[in-house]
Amino acid sequence: MTTGALEGLKVLEYSDFISGPYCGKLMADLGAEVIKVERPEGDHARRWGPFPGGKSHPEKSGLFLFLNTSKLGVTLNLESEQGREVFYRLVEQSDVLIESSPRKEIKRLGLDYPSLKKINPALIVTSITPFGRTGPYKDYKGSDLINSHVSSEAFGNPTEGVEDLDKYSPLRGPMHTAEFMTGLTAAVCTMSAIMGRGKGKAGRHIDVSAQEALASVTRQELAFCLCEGLCPTRQWGRKRVGGFLYQCRDGYVNIWIGPHWQKLVTMMGNPDWTEVELFKNPARRAEHQLDCNKLIEVWTREYTMAEIDRMGMEFDVPLAPVRTVREVVNDEQLAYRSFFVEIDHPAAGHFKYPGAPYKLSATPWAVKRPAPRLGEHNEDVYGRMLGYNQSELTAMKKAGIIQ
Amino acid sequence: MKKGTRKRPALPLSGIRILDFGQMWAGPHLTQWLAVMGAEVIKVETHLRLDFMRMIGIPPGFARDNFNAGTAFASLNYGKRSITLNMNEPRAQELAKKLVKVSDGVTENYGGAILERWGLGYEDMKRLKPDIIYYAGSGYGRSGPAKSRPSYAEIVEAYDGSTYLNGYPGMGPATVGVSPWTDATQAMHGAFAIMAALYHRDRTGEGQYIDAAMIEGSSNFLGEMVMGYTMNGELGERRGNRDKVMAPHGCYRCKGTDEWVAIAVDGEAEWGAFVKALGSPEWAVKEEFHDEKSRRQNQDELDGLIETWTRQHHQYEVMALLQKAGVAAGASLNIKDLVGDPQLKARRFFIEAEHPVLGNITLPGLPWRPAGKQKGNYSYPPLLGEHNDYVFGELLGLCEAEIEKLKDDKVIY
Repeated sequence: MTTGALEGLKVLEYSDFISGPYCGKLMADLGAEVIKVERPEGDHARRWGPFPGGKSHPEKSGLFLFLNTSKLGVTLNLESEQGREVFYRLVEQSDVLIESSPRKEIKRLGLDYPSLKKINPALIVTSITPFGRTGPYKDYKGSDLINSHVSSEAFGNPTEGVEDLDKYSPLRGPMHTAEFMTGLTAAVCTMSAIMGRGKGKAGRHIDVSAQEALASVTRQELAFCLCEGLCPTRQWGRKRVGGFLYQCRDGYVNIWIGPHWQKLVTMMGNPDWTEVELFKNPARRAEHQLDCNKLIEVWTREYTMAEIDRMGMEFDVPLAPVRTVREVVNDEQLAYRSFFVEIDHPAAGHFKYPGAPYKLSATPWAVKRPAPRLGEHNEDVYGRMLGYNQSELTAMKKAGIIQ
Repeated sequence: MKKGTRKRPALPLSGIRILDFGQMWAGPHLTQWLAVMGAEVIKVETHLRLDFMRMIGIPPGFARDNFNAGTAFASLNYGKRSITLNMNEPRAQELAKKLVKVSDGVTENYGGAILERWGLGYEDMKRLKPDIIYYAGSGYGRSGPAKSRPSYAEIVEAYDGSTYLNGYPGMGPATVGVSPWTDATQAMHGAFAIMAALYHRDRTGEGQYIDAAMIEGSSNFLGEMVMGYTMNGELGERRGNRDKVMAPHGCYRCKGTDEWVAIAVDGEAEWGAFVKALGSPEWAVKEEFHDEKSRRQNQDELDGLIETWTRQHHQYEVMALLQKAGVAAGASLNIKDLVGDPQLKARRFFIEAEHPVLGNITLPGLPWRPAGKQKGNYSYPPLLGEHNDYVFGELLGLCEAEIEKLKDDKVIY
């Protein structure tokens, strides 16, 4: 059996919901040993869903199950002195701690970096907060919604712009993609610290700001603004080059014109209007993009998404139908690449999950085990790894330190 | 070393060399991360086919074809070195092979297996450098029926399901954001994967091939949507700024023109604090708003009432007032606001560089900082072919005359 790229790396995750757990998942699915420490009531994602049949159950939340593959799961009551002692023992033998609690909360619990550094100087601590741990907003609250807006991600959404600025607000993106981006940023930052730790094994504290993680995505517009003073408006029709939505018979397609204009014209069967100077000349066409798009739409409305998709392949025009998750899960390309993985979870059952975000030839991405049930690995971690004996474990259970 | 001076610890990726064939957005942003973290990134370009981003965002006052003045390029390529190679020339391919031999990784995001045509497929590279890490990023991946299809961020977003779920509740689908969201997703998954592969190589001596498809990375970002379908056949719905649990949860008009603030109230305690912060208006005690579920059911009415208050204030006032009360609120910033945001300024998110063509430029940094007082490698984005002499001379040991000849022959071009 092949091993994962991060085999041997020990990661502690004390983090709720999405960003921290996604960071942990990226490491766990590449072979790191990730121990997820949950409060006795469990991760918030356990209460989020989706649940099979819509019935809420802490072991059956789709979001939790997806985000916590390959991890070991323990519960720990960090409000107690003894619980903290146990946590410190885990810290002693870890390379990385991922946490996303408010700054003051982590200090109150005695889990702040200066305290942990004393226990394990080689430890890398990755702290994820909405605005970072310095600056005037360091103690402000955030969320997927808030972080999307304070980073200008929401102001630019939707790409097409809106017809009435007063009627339509800036818009956050679909699902919790902002949280995922924050988690991915944390993973990249953490990995660099692992690479940089070198022989001296000096640990460090990494301060990840969700606002910055998302603002970074708007870097191109930031550059235009900083260098030229430009500021994109939310006005309808602000897009110029390509990536437009067109209605077709049974839905929408997105077509990227840009340098592919001639191929698109051929695909449409060389309609007369494309011969008019106004549209033939790329610079003039850009000035009349909305009109041009209306004419393209006259054509797309005649066809179904599937028909246009096939023509796109034939004529090599970059386009895609606007697909629902049903088409994504049943996609031929993704099936060919065995992207979705089937995971059998003892409580939740057997489902398809999104698979590898990258295919590594020598150390393939792999799900080691399904997401842990609440406290599933308490005995394994506290008993086998930390060496607490049975009577100590029983006493800890009685005291409410572990489940 | 001088007495009393301490050598700065090296950046985490110092000593790593990446040969980068990336262009457009995802490829360059990936290697920009590695460069800022200390890797030596050699970007392979050519006058024959410029990186499109070199021509985007050329400020007024510069010729429209000044490929060293593109600010989009600048925002995606700092910290790198640039060489020019006309890869149609066998001698250029030979030079590239020599560079592979002295590199730790090779990255590219071409639309297909272009490198293979140049004799630089993974198997070829492995013969040159057995522990090489070769990263190929593409829209659909390097295998399967769609492997050769051209892709752009908006296309991938339509394909992966995010466009369908993006938009205002009750209205049609919409494309996500103003920036190429899926490109950023791919760039950063790629940076993570390459570092993981380097970690593995450092311990085992084994290199590898990384095949990264944009749709596969972005489908992970949409894991919640996928699970809803595989569990229950749900297609999901456009929620916009709303939440399936929290209410109020939205974006509200403020005093100024097109000025907005986002507010998210989580649970009863925060609702109490929120109402108090608004000065306990009478409407807040209405039966329709007595718990989270009823507030959610009566959101349209609730949002209208909240707006009568937010409209009297500026976005930052609402943000400060509510945050002080323990409620999550954030100004909905446009790009200009973001540049002036006190938090980003205080954290020095923006970096300055002296650029030989553009002059003094300020650009967004990365959401990463090295340890201690070190600075990331934010040297200015390279001019086209700026490092030809260094790379072919110092690294490969060609003499000046040889380099001149290769330039004259348009091999180094």
